[in-house]
Amino acid sequence: MTYLNRALLPAVSIFLLFLIWQMMVMILDLPAYILPSPIEISGGIWDKSGMLGSNVTVTLKNTLIGFLIGSLIGLALALVMVLSDWAHDLIMPVAVAVSSVPTAAFVPLMLIWFGLGDESKVAMAALAVSFVVLLNAVSGLKSCPQGQINLLRSFGASRLHVLLKLQFPASLPSIMTGMRVGLSRATITVIVTEMLGAYSGIGQTIYQATAIVDYVTVWAAVIVASAGSLILYGILAGLDAKFIWWR
Amino acid sequence: MVLILWLVTVPLFGISAQTLPALPDVLLSGFNIWGDLLDSTIYTLTETFFGFVAGAVIGISSGLLFWWSKKAEQMLLPIFVALQTVPIIAFGAIVVIWFGNGMVSKVVIALYLTFFPVAVNTARGLERTDPELLKLLRSFGASKFRIFRTVSLPTALSSIMTGLKIGIQLSLVGALVGEWFGDTRGLGTLLLQSLYFEDTERVWLLILLLGLIGQILFVLLSRIEKRYIWWK
Repeated sequence: MTYLNRALLPAVSIFLLFLIWQMMVMILDLPAYILPSPIEISGGIWDKSGMLGSNVTVTLKNTLIGFLIGSLIGLALALVMVLSDWAHDLIMPVAVAVSSVPTAAFVPLMLIWFGLGDESKVAMAALAVSFVVLLNAVSGLKSCPQGQINLLRSFGASRLHVLLKLQFPASLPSIMTGMRVGLSRATITVIVTEMLGAYSGIGQTIYQATAIVDYVTVWAAVIVASAGSLILYGILAGLDAKFIWWR
Repeated sequence: MVLILWLVTVPLFGISAQTLPALPDVLLSGFNIWGDLLDSTIYTLTETFFGFVAGAVIGISSGLLFWWSKKAEQMLLPIFVALQTVPIIAFGAIVVIWFGNGMVSKVVIALYLTFFPVAVNTARGLERTDPELLKLLRSFGASKFRIFRTVSLPTALSSIMTGLKIGIQLSLVGALVGEWFGDTRGLGTLLLQSLYFEDTERVWLLILLLGLIGQILFVLLSRIEKRYIWWK
């Protein structure tokens, strides 16, 4: 299959989707509170582009900061856990216990702890990311064949050396998978947190627009939020493809 | 062990109840409202269950469709993968407008969340069939359906189960968050109320309970997997 085909077919189906959507709204004469047409929504995005833009920026900024903090925490803990069995036995049950709680359940707690400002969103994003990265990093670091480790060890490499030169690069694809999953979860988590309490952010925009029954703005905000999260995800996937060529 | 740690650290470091209430207090607060708790758990679990089952059925069928027709896959799978990164929860408000404030809207949200991982994992699992094996079977003149039943489906099942495990957890999240858009019952509603009253004990109680539920659902699926997919 040609590259053009790969890019073209999804584009065609998205176009068809919008076309059917637009026609459905026009034929059935649906009111905007049930389903605004794509043209109405684009108009809404255009009219409120400044407001939507600044709010989505806040959301994405908090997502990104939380994502970086969470990834670093997850990665650091994973490295410690691989170096020391004792740490592994201590941290693993906590990680499994925390990750079996639906992330959304932590939202009220973070809002009580960190208030309505940016901190609670960053904390939620970090929480959503760190455990996914941690679990993926540990399984990636451990998946390295024992024979290769033994070879390096027999040449006199220290345990830290083996970790940095062999296990870490070998586990990067798995870590990146964790980061990708974590990033989309972080975006959703930040938006949900903003809905429950925030001064700004696209989640708050959606919440307020719902409250004043302005459904064109709800849809516009949802589309903008989706586009923003897709762009973040695309950047990460691009970095992944560029720098981790050995997968 | 985590619980013991919790039990010991709170009195030891004199952490204020606002930050982390002592474990006995949390459990006691649960004991006082156990009737409400049970009622809400059943309500939320019902939403989760129906959303999960519907999402799994639709997800597996579309996974099969992708496997059957390459055209459908090329057109739709990239969109599905992209949609997985989209903040679906943001649609919650719209879903409530469409399906009302009752159980149906939560089931729909849970369905939507379950659907994507199941569909994607089904399609990928079916594609992973050993090509040599396929060639062999085809050279013996096996029909497409027969190949599907004897080779592709058994290989794909473990991947489908992975999708289902992700799906059930997302389904629980969907039910919870769905209740935030104005329901009066369920664990999500309780969670929201305890936020408004800044009742940290109640929040922790619900976190514990939800962790337990999440774990039980996960173990349940793992059991089914071990029991029926022994060739993995």
